[in-house]
Amino acid sequence: MAELTAEQVSAMAAALGLPMTPDDLVEVTHRLNALLEALAPLATLPLDTVEPVPVLPDEPFTS
Amino acid sequence: MTSGRDDLAYLSAAKLAALVRDRQVSPVELVRIYLERIDRFDARLRAYITVLPEAALEAARKAEAAVMREERLGPLHGVPYAVKDQFATAGVRTTLGSRLLEGNVPGEDATVITRLNGAGGVLLGKLNLTEFALGGTQNFPFGQPRNPWNVEHDPGGSSSGSGIAVAAALCAASLGEDTGGSVRSPASWCGVVGLRPTWGRVSRHGSFPLSWSLDTAGPLTRTVEDAALLLQVVAGYDPKDPLTSRRPSPECLPALGRGVGGLRIGIIRELTFSEETHTEVRTAVTAAAERLHGLGATVDEVSIPLVPLAGAVFMALADSDGAGLHQPWLRTRAMEYDQGTRRRLLTASLIPTAIYHQAARARALIRAQLREALASYDLLVCPTAHQAAPPITAGRGAITTRQDVAGRFFTRRSYVAPASLAGIPAIAIPCGFTREGLPIGLQLLGRPFDEATLLRAAYAYEQETEWSRRRPSL
Repeated sequence: MAELTAEQVSAMAAALGLPMTPDDLVEVTHRLNALLEALAPLATLPLDTVEPVPVLPDEPFTS
Repeated sequence: MTSGRDDLAYLSAAKLAALVRDRQVSPVELVRIYLERIDRFDARLRAYITVLPEAALEAARKAEAAVMREERLGPLHGVPYAVKDQFATAGVRTTLGSRLLEGNVPGEDATVITRLNGAGGVLLGKLNLTEFALGGTQNFPFGQPRNPWNVEHDPGGSSSGSGIAVAAALCAASLGEDTGGSVRSPASWCGVVGLRPTWGRVSRHGSFPLSWSLDTAGPLTRTVEDAALLLQVVAGYDPKDPLTSRRPSPECLPALGRGVGGLRIGIIRELTFSEETHTEVRTAVTAAAERLHGLGATVDEVSIPLVPLAGAVFMALADSDGAGLHQPWLRTRAMEYDQGTRRRLLTASLIPTAIYHQAARARALIRAQLREALASYDLLVCPTAHQAAPPITAGRGAITTRQDVAGRFFTRRSYVAPASLAGIPAIAIPCGFTREGLPIGLQLLGRPFDEATLLRAAYAYEQETEWSRRRPSL
């Protein structure tokens, strides 16, 4: 995912009705870009066939 | 205060309960001892948000009367305990460490409070935490919690006060809540025992939520036996929380003394031997693994390739859940949050849905890798944190680079988030001290609903070492 600019982050927050000070905006932009960068390796994983279920009741060891 | 009273304050909850049962100590006296220690030390440590002297003394007097009447006594009868201020307490303010809930007085106890009181425990007060059980609070509204081993250092979070109060003997035992390490991290940095039970083992009713599929209440105690004792008290099905397991409470105490002979233990390579793990931590954890081997366990290295991603995956999921819960207040009362909390929740509010789903799928893979490893090993071990408690100033100030974000949030969480994401039980126990005198934590991870094996191994290690017997100089 391309790096987000402060203007784009500001627009996203405004669309959700979330107030943000100028200092908030600078830090939130850093935080969001850092998180997206840290999650970038997930794009290389075979995730298409994985169901995003947090708890499976009948997995091994749980019966 | 005499050293005898200090020694009594540092006894385990199990030993105190036995002394109460045998009429060798009065619950009223115990409450007074802890209240005196809170008076002496908590202005600096700030473990407590609310202390309940009158209510605790009244409960202790009733407990004492029950002993004298030779009534049937619960396993915590007359033992003073305290809880993270995340659990609802009827008639007692429950703040979540936030100005937004400064005047919040619930009408009903959380189920875990009902069970602790039902076992005879005496509630001393409510303990400090990072705001709303998120990390990264900049200015604590109820005082900066400080590490008893060095007050300039971070006690860990989010159950900060729970770790401090146990380490400094400001209560006999405490209860915290662990979404992504919030019991284990303060336990590690404060040098006490912290247990995250299997997800679904303990009721979440009355615990202010952060993430529905991750939140888990767990004990912080001075001994492994106490962790087992508190788990037995709070665990079990609760009709008020439909996601609790219907399994009976685990009988962990009888198995504690069985040792580790024959257990297969895997050292998680990616966490124990990573570049991020400080040398003193790695040395202490590998020495602990050798000790477990010496006690009869088989110990090997095991690779779980995806665990380094667990911190970021956890934050994408848990923070998104939290942001969803906080949307109404974020829109209307944003400036009442601490700056660090507000910015973290605002960030999480903007995570794209596609990224959230990717993280949820990655979580399933991380869980599968851990469970696959646990098919071959009875337990996994790794550090609880990559470093001992850092200075409080290390987490202060605005975040100005992406590296700041990774350093403050992702790295540390990668050590504790795997167990959270997989829903498996994990325990933090002291395994050494740095040259600066700060505690180092060993983490053991177990199979779902097999807290008994986890506690058994932790107990065997604890009995062979002296780390848990050290006290901070207050």
